[in-house]
Amino acid sequence: MPEARLFGVAGIFGEPCRLLEAVARLKASGWERLQAYTPYPVRGLEGALDVKRSPLAGTVLAMALAGTALAWLMQWWMNGVDYPTVVGGKDPRSWQALVPIMFEVMVLFSCLTAALGMLFLFNRLPRFGHPVLEAGLGRFTTRDKFALVVEAGAAAFDAEAARRALREAGAETLMNIPVPAPAFVGLRGLLRLAAAGGALAAAGGAGMYWLIKLWPVLPPMSHMLVQPRLDAQMSSAFFADGRGMRPPAEGSVARGRLAEALVSSRTAAGLAAPLPVTPAVLMAGRRAFERTCVVCHGPVADGTSLLTPAYGAVPANLQARKFLAYSDGMIYERILRGHNAMPGYAWALDDDRRWAVVRYLRALQRAQHAKESDLP
Amino acid sequence: MNKRDIAAAAAILGAFGAGACYLGPGPERFWINWLVWTLMLLSAGLGALFLTGVEHLSGARWSVPLRRCAERVSDLVVPGSAALLAALLSLPVLYPWARPGGAPRLAPELRAAWLNVPFFSLRTAVCAGLWLLCWRILAGGSRRQDRSRDPALTLRARRWAAVYMAVLGFSLLFVAYDWIVSLEPEWYSDVIGVYLFAGAFLSGVAASSLVVARLLRAGRLPGVRFDHVYSLGAWLFAFTVFWSYIAFAQYLLMWYANLPEEVFWYKQRTQGPWQAAALALAALHFLIPFFALLPVDAKGDLPGLRRCALIVLAAQFLDLYWLIFPAVCPRPVFSWPEACFALLFMGAAALWLRRSLGRDADMPVGDPFLKDGLEFRL
Repeated sequence: MPEARLFGVAGIFGEPCRLLEAVARLKASGWERLQAYTPYPVRGLEGALDVKRSPLAGTVLAMALAGTALAWLMQWWMNGVDYPTVVGGKDPRSWQALVPIMFEVMVLFSCLTAALGMLFLFNRLPRFGHPVLEAGLGRFTTRDKFALVVEAGAAAFDAEAARRALREAGAETLMNIPVPAPAFVGLRGLLRLAAAGGALAAAGGAGMYWLIKLWPVLPPMSHMLVQPRLDAQMSSAFFADGRGMRPPAEGSVARGRLAEALVSSRTAAGLAAPLPVTPAVLMAGRRAFERTCVVCHGPVADGTSLLTPAYGAVPANLQARKFLAYSDGMIYERILRGHNAMPGYAWALDDDRRWAVVRYLRALQRAQHAKESDLP
Repeated sequence: MNKRDIAAAAAILGAFGAGACYLGPGPERFWINWLVWTLMLLSAGLGALFLTGVEHLSGARWSVPLRRCAERVSDLVVPGSAALLAALLSLPVLYPWARPGGAPRLAPELRAAWLNVPFFSLRTAVCAGLWLLCWRILAGGSRRQDRSRDPALTLRARRWAAVYMAVLGFSLLFVAYDWIVSLEPEWYSDVIGVYLFAGAFLSGVAASSLVVARLLRAGRLPGVRFDHVYSLGAWLFAFTVFWSYIAFAQYLLMWYANLPEEVFWYKQRTQGPWQAAALALAALHFLIPFFALLPVDAKGDLPGLRRCALIVLAAQFLDLYWLIFPAVCPRPVFSWPEACFALLFMGAAALWLRRSLGRDADMPVGDPFLKDGLEFRL
């Protein structure tokens, strides 16, 4: 019966020391291309098989040191340089506070390097099959047996001699390892696998997104939103009068309202207009007068306007002799507080505008009662 | 002049120097040195006994051929306990709470309940008694087994190993609070007992490694291979990291919290004249042994392991020096009194260990698991 093309011949041993002896024997009798399969790392095997020392340990150490340095640099820059924050009276660049994160990043870098490096860099995964696995050697070598495989390689291979050598070296069982049928997974298979993996990951991501969006299992972070507070016009059981909005305390003055608070009808007469008579002030007064006062008092402040007959109200004629005799401060006080039917206009005109209106009104009065000497 | 005579000469010379220290620089300098060296002996002895005990308790096989080495180091518990009892004379000299009017900020209830000379002495005596009892059963029983070959002694040792775990845990806590912390009784620390234990176990493993290295080179441990030495090196490596973790965790917490009653202790020891000692401690107790033992082969390399063991023992001495000396010395001192005490205690310990090495078998030949242990492979 013609023998299938062989990948190699395996000898199976029951004890790790038998395996080590066999490796030494086969090496001594000139066998190359030996490979061992064991359920756990056997000390001395790498040396016996002349396996080069894996660079993984050194890589992990380098990555661990890099992670430590990176974590230090990151924290040092963020806490100490970019946005220095003093916590507990400590220097923001204190190294002590940085150590826990440095340690954690060191562990993270080492573990990721060790796991991923072992799988992908140095064990060259993904690999979709190996003759040793196809032949079922793993049934033994992942449990309690130790196997030594003499690989055929490209040169002429005397399988019978290999079997004899393994048996003489003390193998309990021998096993032929045929070259398996051509690999089913080719480049297209690899592409399909990658596409399927990508689609799965995308579907998983999208699914999670919509799941969380449609059925929010956890409430979003709302601890700033949901809190005991009073909105405008809300009642409150906290205060005895039940009002949520509190009136200002007795005698307090709101910001920018000091003038109103100080002026009274008694003190008003003595007030002097703080603004000079300049075209800018007069124009500002005119704008404010036309927006606020003209509706009732009329364009020349004589108490005639289009609105007056419609409402039957009688606004004051500010050109009357009585008002000519008013001091600036008295007019100011009337704008502020109002008089008779006229409400106060403190809300509509700020302090500068009130005085500007006073200046403009004085100009109107002078224009209506012009003397010859006023002519240029 | 052989090595034994050198050790004896060193001990005698050291003893004269120590006596001169008592008369010259004064009793305070004498007793502070005495305390450091006593705790050094006890660290190695109790740590080695812990190594023996934890291996009995876990049923370890690999360590059986090396167990006699640890048991021999644990013989240091005997002179260590005696020296600790002698150190009771130092109470009024070193400890402010034992002096009339000393430590005025100490709560009177604490003084009445805990820090008073009779109760303090009683605690020390009970601790020493329990250590000697456990030593006698664990280390002495193993030697009795050499002759009787009685497997019941192994079972007895396993039960007593559990007792010794508890005894060591509590007694080291008492030693730490009583003999170290109460030098500055305002300070407190939750973890100082664990800290002391970590250092003690490390020095026990290190001293045992030295004995193993010596006997292996003399060919007195046939059958002990790389695998055994590697496992011992792994202990040393693991506990180097453990000590560093405990030490740094305590430092970080106290540094962060910045409480005046805690932080003065560290301020004194990590800034100013003592800063160099703290940095040396970090190098000797962590950086050097950690990186030296990090590669796989280094843990089983006998000369390398021996060097690391020496470094770890030096670090344990420095650690005790750094814990204890600043309580009375504002800046590090190392002069002829310290050198004489080193000669005295190292010479005496060498003589004591030589005596142990000259008696009994080099392996526990009566232990039923010795064959298993010799066949151990990684």
